Amino acid sequence: MKKVLLMLLVIVASITLFSCGDKESERTEITFWHMSPVGDVSYSSVKQLITDFNDSQELYFVKGVGFSFWDYWDKINVAVASSTAPSIGLSTIDDVVSRAESGVIYNISDLMAADTSGVNTLDLSEFRQSQMDFATYEDDLYAMPFSATTRALFYNLDMFEEMGLTEADVPTTWSELQTIAKMFDVQEEDGTITRIGFDPTYGDTTYHGWLWQAGLDFFDEDLNPTLNTPEHLEVLNWILDFNEDFTRTQLTAFGEANAMLGVNPFTSERVAMIVSNDGLYQTINTSGADINYGVAAIPVPDEDGIHVCWGSGFSLEMYDNGDNTDAEVAGAYEFYKYLLSESVQLKLGESLGWLMSHISAMETYVEGDPILETLLGEVDYAMDKVYVPYAPAWHASDWQTYYTQIMDGDLTPEAGLLAARNHYLQKQENYNTLNE
Amino acid sequence: MKKQTIGSLKQLRKKENRMGYLFASPWLIGIIVLGAFPILASFYISFTSYDMSSAPQWVGLKNYIILFTNDDVFWKSLWNTIYHVVIAIPLGLIVGIILALLLNNKIKGMSIYRTLFYLPCVVSIVAMSLLWMWLFQPQFGIINEVLSPIYNLFNMEPILWLQSSSTSKITLILMGLWTAGGSMVIYLAQMQDIPTSLYESAEVDGANWIQKTFRITLPLMTPSIFFNFIMGIIGGFQVFTIAYIMTNGGPAQSTYYYAYYMFDKMMSDQAMGMASAMAWILLVIVLIVTMFALRLNNKVVYLGEEG
Amino acid sequence: MEQTIKKPRFTKRQRTRIKHGILHIVLLLCSVGFMFPFLWMLFTALKTPQELLLGFEQFFPADPQWGNFKEAVTMIPFLLYLKNSLIIVILVVTGTLFSATTTAYAFAKLRWKGKEKWFIIMLATLMIPIQVILIPTYVMYSYIGWLSTRLPLIVPAFFGGGAAFYIFLLRQFFMGVPKELSESAVIDGASHIQIFFKIMLPLSKPALMTVGLFTFMATWNDYFGPLIFLSNPDHWTLAIGLRAFQTRFGGRYDLMMAASILVMLPTLVIFFFAQKSFIEGITFTGIKG
Repeated sequence: MKKVLLMLLVIVASITLFSCGDKESERTEITFWHMSPVGDVSYSSVKQLITDFNDSQELYFVKGVGFSFWDYWDKINVAVASSTAPSIGLSTIDDVVSRAESGVIYNISDLMAADTSGVNTLDLSEFRQSQMDFATYEDDLYAMPFSATTRALFYNLDMFEEMGLTEADVPTTWSELQTIAKMFDVQEEDGTITRIGFDPTYGDTTYHGWLWQAGLDFFDEDLNPTLNTPEHLEVLNWILDFNEDFTRTQLTAFGEANAMLGVNPFTSERVAMIVSNDGLYQTINTSGADINYGVAAIPVPDEDGIHVCWGSGFSLEMYDNGDNTDAEVAGAYEFYKYLLSESVQLKLGESLGWLMSHISAMETYVEGDPILETLLGEVDYAMDKVYVPYAPAWHASDWQTYYTQIMDGDLTPEAGLLAARNHYLQKQENYNTLNE
Repeated sequence: MKKQTIGSLKQLRKKENRMGYLFASPWLIGIIVLGAFPILASFYISFTSYDMSSAPQWVGLKNYIILFTNDDVFWKSLWNTIYHVVIAIPLGLIVGIILALLLNNKIKGMSIYRTLFYLPCVVSIVAMSLLWMWLFQPQFGIINEVLSPIYNLFNMEPILWLQSSSTSKITLILMGLWTAGGSMVIYLAQMQDIPTSLYESAEVDGANWIQKTFRITLPLMTPSIFFNFIMGIIGGFQVFTIAYIMTNGGPAQSTYYYAYYMFDKMMSDQAMGMASAMAWILLVIVLIVTMFALRLNNKVVYLGEEG
Repeated sequence: MEQTIKKPRFTKRQRTRIKHGILHIVLLLCSVGFMFPFLWMLFTALKTPQELLLGFEQFFPADPQWGNFKEAVTMIPFLLYLKNSLIIVILVVTGTLFSATTTAYAFAKLRWKGKEKWFIIMLATLMIPIQVILIPTYVMYSYIGWLSTRLPLIVPAFFGGGAAFYIFLLRQFFMGVPKELSESAVIDGASHIQIFFKIMLPLSKPALMTVGLFTFMATWNDYFGPLIFLSNPDHWTLAIGLRAFQTRFGGRYDLMMAASILVMLPTLVIFFFAQKSFIEGITFTGIKG
């Protein structure tokens, strides 16, 4: 009996010892979740920015935790749900409204109004209205844009030159794109593709991105799915038929080979043109690839096409767990302002390689670099995807199922679009049933 | 402690009762705190609409009604899972039994073979998934390389394995056979308990190897077959990680299993109520199948002398 | 085969020899089938990406790239993950052995009220998919502030979490221990605690070994638990690290295989050293109830 009790006691004691004993200081602790995990190239610079803030503070102490982009979302979703969210964290800007509505994030407008310190106040004129609109709920700001992304056409000038093309030949319409792309295609005798000019499914392309340029979308203004019109079909067929000289299997094998070689198809000159987000700039730099390239707006269907691309960005949010002390909120807001100040945004841009949301900071950052200048210019044409409460992942898991089936030839484009629309309709109906 | 006499039998019983609870207490505490509470809570959540950020809203049976009447993906994922269970489990049983039968001979090096066949079972599911993704890779993977003479002979297109919706489920099942050694050792353990006298007397009666296998070995192995069957059913309905890592549920949702859909309901739709309802439906399915198996068990399984 | 039916051409001994020869060939072929993936994994880990595209043409790595292992290790904080895996595994094995043996003893050798009911409940927990309790469990741990710690993975082991199968195995084993042994000890005035520590545990070494090894393997290889419960990346385990490796460097099969080999090496080594008690432990505990 005594032995068992003793054993239990030892276990309980060791467990309690495990759980405590890591309080850093007596200052109020603020937690900040970011996407620069241990081992990431940007880890040390983000850590340095946090240390700088901590050194300038007597009242607050920020503890940063970095997750890889891939793990971040599951973590933050569950943490918010269980009221263990960090004081400050990044999230997606397109669905700020849903969190504002459920009251899990602080009203930034209120905090701004209550902030009478006069130091480092947020200068809203330095942020894009288009981004802030996504963070606005019932006329109040519930988050601030933290970073911005955009998409553009990257083209390889060395390869252009080889074909006797110049920058003037960079395509601006879909038909020009197809004509020029064909010039670069190389296929071996056994069918293996070793080089292509362009493919509308490679890189950071999406079906909805191409749709937008043709003035179409997945949903109408009331968020009803409108997916199977002849116009939608036309865009889908254009994507499917772009490289009709190759089989889908050959195209897939080409993509797999790129991944296995661990190369970006653009930096390894296996594609002449690619649609990518601004991150490719950083990828090219770090890969050390010696290529001469340029960036332009993504070609549009024809002269009437719309200059638009899918761009998003992270929002910076302050989470309300329901038990935050006033000191925590005040401290978190100080750090919040710090992260959005011009100098910090500039440093973040440099270390993360992201385009940040602070306009002046980014203008300084891109100055003298024509590629970055063009990319920053394209941010103004970036549009974010709409938040659909009944299908938050409408562009991802929901649509991808039908998209791959259409690509693999398991479904005709007509049948695929109809099936996808019915899928959304069913989700919408079920959502309404649950929330009536 | 003093010697107990027969007179204090009652006292002894009482003490034993106390000791029983004491010894079982770690698990008893665990089952109540870490088991009962979450189960009750999840049962409650299954009758609510709960998006993790605001409080659960009571919706009655709506989650269940929607799943059964107006959710095509639910049925698709259930079909995928049943397909997996119905093929993978019998196949796994057969391969495990064949391996055990091969090893159940008094030959040299038996323990080495046994170790080799069991080895894949100690590999983590993540490492195993990565390995087989590479082996099944259609263009550069070794399996299609080995099969390419056959493809050429019949002038057919290479099989795309995980990358085609018509073969992806079977491919994952085939991969699972690599770990058949796990059930093999259990069969083998029971086979070696079968008294040799049974075989000897059968031999006297002129029974050949096939007759001995079907008349003696297999009937006496039914308890372990039943055990592996039940474990297979329970695990099979929860299949998730291999699809999550190897196929992302694709292509075209062909490996989008029930547990995967539940995971997405939680993580991408944040529909906790719906996900909990799915968890409870899964539990009921597993219980029904197990109960059927138990019925069957009572009829078929050889219970031995001890019963 | 035909000859044997007509007229025994071979003696019984010769027949056995032929039979065993055929068996060995079949078993060798099976062994190759089971072992080849491991071998190919090693070859892949030692190749260059260009060699991978060649397939059979380049069966052996021309110039073994041992540097791939180093590269794989530096791409993720391997040593940190290794340490984390070890901490969790050691504590979970300890906890499971503690809770599973005591509970199994109660079920096997003691008479107490409700024992049968609890036993059925225990077997029933084997059938409950983890998904059923996932959400509320998470909320519960967050409520008591355990999410930034390793406790959600460790503490349940001390309370029989996930140990139903092991409890069942150990109960079967304990039941096999002759009644006379414990009864005579009772008559000699030994308490159940004494019987448990002095008779049961020493007699059950093979079974304990089996349960310990099973727990080790399961914990070391566990992916789902750490994915959900380890919110602090400083606590991440190798299984999570391997998956992170795949999401970030997907397609680089040479590096993925190198990382996979490093992750599974400890289990392979332990298995080789302990395989006798591992497999024979299963024989002892047996599923013969």
